[in-house]
Amino acid sequence: MKKFNIAIIGLGGQGIITMGTVMKNAALSFDLRDVSGSERRGGAQREGYVETFVKYIFYENKSEMNDPRKNMHSPMIESGGANALISLEPLETLRGIRYLNKDSVVIFNETPYIPISVRMGKTSYPEIPFIVSELQNVTKNIFYYDFDRISLEKFKSLTQKNIIALGALFAKSDIPIEPSAVENILAEGKGAEENLRAFEIGLNL
Amino acid sequence: MGKSNLFINGIKGDKAIVLGNEAIARGALEAGIGYASMYPGTPASEIIAVLDKNKKYIENLYTEFSLNEHISLHGAIGASWSGVRSLCAMKNVGLNVASEPAQFLSYTGVKAGLVLAIGSDPGAPSSSNEQDDRWYSLHTYMPIMEPSNIQEAKDFTRDAFDVSEEFSFGVVLMAPSRLCHNAGALYFGDLKDRMEIKGDFKKDPENYLNLFGMAVRNHAKYLERNELLKKYLIDSKFNKIINGSSSKIGFISSGVIYAHLIEAFDILGIYDHKILKLGFTFPLPNELIKGFFKGLDKVVIVEEAEGFLEFQIKKIAYETGFKGAVYGKEYFNPTGELTIDDVISGISRFFEKPPPVSFDFAVKKDKELQAKLPQRSGTFCVGCPHRATFYSILKAVGFSNTEEKERDVVIAGDIGCYTLGLLPPYNAMDFLTCMNAGLEIGQAISIFDKNKKVIALVGDSTFYHSGVPALLNAVQNGADILYIILDNSWTAMTGHQKTPSTQKDIDGKPSQNPLNLKDLVKSLGVSYVKTIDPNSVKRFAALIKGALKESGVKVLIAKRECVLQEIRRNKSLNKNGGRSTETGESLYEIQKSRCVKCNECFVELACPAIILKKDEDKVSDYYYIDPASCVKCGVCYAVCPNSAIRKVEFDLRNEFKLSDKSLQITI
Ligand code: SF4
Ligand code: SF4
Repeated sequence: MKKFNIAIIGLGGQGIITMGTVMKNAALSFDLRDVSGSERRGGAQREGYVETFVKYIFYENKSEMNDPRKNMHSPMIESGGANALISLEPLETLRGIRYLNKDSVVIFNETPYIPISVRMGKTSYPEIPFIVSELQNVTKNIFYYDFDRISLEKFKSLTQKNIIALGALFAKSDIPIEPSAVENILAEGKGAEENLRAFEIGLNL
Repeated sequence: MGKSNLFINGIKGDKAIVLGNEAIARGALEAGIGYASMYPGTPASEIIAVLDKNKKYIENLYTEFSLNEHISLHGAIGASWSGVRSLCAMKNVGLNVASEPAQFLSYTGVKAGLVLAIGSDPGAPSSSNEQDDRWYSLHTYMPIMEPSNIQEAKDFTRDAFDVSEEFSFGVVLMAPSRLCHNAGALYFGDLKDRMEIKGDFKKDPENYLNLFGMAVRNHAKYLERNELLKKYLIDSKFNKIINGSSSKIGFISSGVIYAHLIEAFDILGIYDHKILKLGFTFPLPNELIKGFFKGLDKVVIVEEAEGFLEFQIKKIAYETGFKGAVYGKEYFNPTGELTIDDVISGISRFFEKPPPVSFDFAVKKDKELQAKLPQRSGTFCVGCPHRATFYSILKAVGFSNTEEKERDVVIAGDIGCYTLGLLPPYNAMDFLTCMNAGLEIGQAISIFDKNKKVIALVGDSTFYHSGVPALLNAVQNGADILYIILDNSWTAMTGHQKTPSTQKDIDGKPSQNPLNLKDLVKSLGVSYVKTIDPNSVKRFAALIKGALKESGVKVLIAKRECVLQEIRRNKSLNKNGGRSTETGESLYEIQKSRCVKCNECFVELACPAIILKKDEDKVSDYYYIDPASCVKCGVCYAVCPNSAIRKVEFDLRNEFKLSDKSLQITI
């Protein structure tokens, strides 16, 4: 049995849950595969921490798939258990550091959303170099882009940043599913044309 | 969910990515329910929402967002007694409200199957407590099923209806938020013929009447049925034993925690111990547990919360003369969510075997770092009328969050989106417990502490839930309190279910029988009642000030629709109104030259669309309204004491002109 765990984190309203749903659907049509992973949704309110886990499970054979000691999977990713982490907010990337190990791939967005505590002058927001150096203590595979800016420039809106980030995941990690599986899902959904273009932009980062 | 809506049409062999809550709803559909209701509550809301959304495509399905859980469960009982299978859902604390019907349900029994799906919330990410509702069953005798994953969420729900009918109990289906909001692959089953669903209430006085001796007889009957159910559960398909090798150690677990346990064993490379997976965690037959004990000298119970299984199993161990040791809460935390990490750590400690290096390293790194990071909490959406309400209240009572100053009014909190007002920067609540505790506790404080003014807050949905008697009580008993009803027309927090205040649906369709809240309040005997648009912050603050000077019960209705719904409706009606984020027709702008950074808009009001931007020199910074997130509510414009914020209006050829008329917000 092989696993590939992806933690996707960010803030309410950034499209985190959608990213998880796309990634899960991309794995659906294959045999000997299982997919699960829970979401942490922050009510209806904005700016709260949101995370979703995508766990791909690849069984060696049918008997492993039917083995009760193998075929049940936690909806969570354990500490150090993520093959990849995507974060759409720089500070939150550090909150996801617990999922990382030395081989994990990290993809994060450079545009900060300043929390209230910083707004009130009670704490300060960490600079990008600090974030990167903290992450480097764990893994060297760190990639960051200003997904907000890219999305605004190419689409005149922020809504495509999450799909661009998914493209980047395929470009920078050894995720064991084909980009075409994601493209098939995007092609069926709403805003297919723009999403496919966004995914392509991510793939070429 | 798939494009062809498998939720409604899916048949055996179909497969889709489905949310845990949707799987529960689908299981109920496969069982042929005709009734589904709830009072919305995270994490359970989608269970009924998905049925309600699709009911126009489903024959003979009645759905209801009831005003509270007491009504909702009674509705399910009525449907069951009419011979229609019924599903009732609620969040963990909902059962406190529905505990009364739950208490009677075993006495009377069911006719058609009845399932109560409860979304529990360990760690309380969306709740005001993390109670474990399983304990209720020690006196309600409702059997409890605990699915471990999405497939079981559906299959158990479907089967629960059969068990319910066979043993005449309402069956509880427990799903923690980790399952409710787990999304993964689901294999569908077949649907029942929905044309067979038909109500036919048959009188059954022997079971349905509970009084004096009749109640005692019914009590004896359900204890008997409980024994029959126990017998059935000794070797049912729901409780499974995985045999170990020669190990004398056994593990017992259930639900999502069982899934954590199996994966934890795999991560730790432990495969040789006996495991009991409980699908039913109440009742537990002695014979089942005794059989599992055979050949073991140590048993470890892996469960969340305070040890409901441990409590029962230790009793059985005593009764069956088990000589070994039973462990549980020594290794697994009784409070907070029990995560996969907690299970890995607990198992490692039990076996004195270290977890993988990467695990330890990650845990340590996380601990080290978290203390250094700024906290982040959720806040009101951009343009949310609640933000304006809190701003107005704090201004009216002379409080500022930029100066360290005590606020001397007592503010009673309640449950809803507006609960976020207890967080910084507003810090505008002094207590918060359950639904409608605000006014009820506040009333007594107003009687005993005459030196402080008391303001109680409530949302429209919470008010209709059980606030009407609370308000009537305050009036009848001469409370001295200001009651502010934050009427945004929706149960917004749980995904926008309708309330009696809802005037129009998001497709613009008017509600059938919307309530006039002001008339209702008046009819309860409140003579001081005023309605205000919370976005008119200056007027609102003045009103609050005035109301606090009056004695008796004063009610202010802060009426403005949830901004998300308003935007959605504008989008669906395809008109871009003044509030759409998409248009360039007008925008609010901070004039750098005029802004003195007094923080009135940035910290006191704290609209997230107002952000700090770095100047080109990269050293100094300035406040800036982000046009991509501003929804043009105009509140910042109203609060700026320095006239630094202006409204810029564009005409269609993209030329702009400045608005000189001050923004008039009418009620
Ligand atoms: S008008 Fe002002 S307060 Fe309203 S959303 Fe825009 S920035 Fe926020
Ligand atoms: S309220 Fe006006 S002067 Fe004060 S910070 Fe905001 S824009 Fe600047």
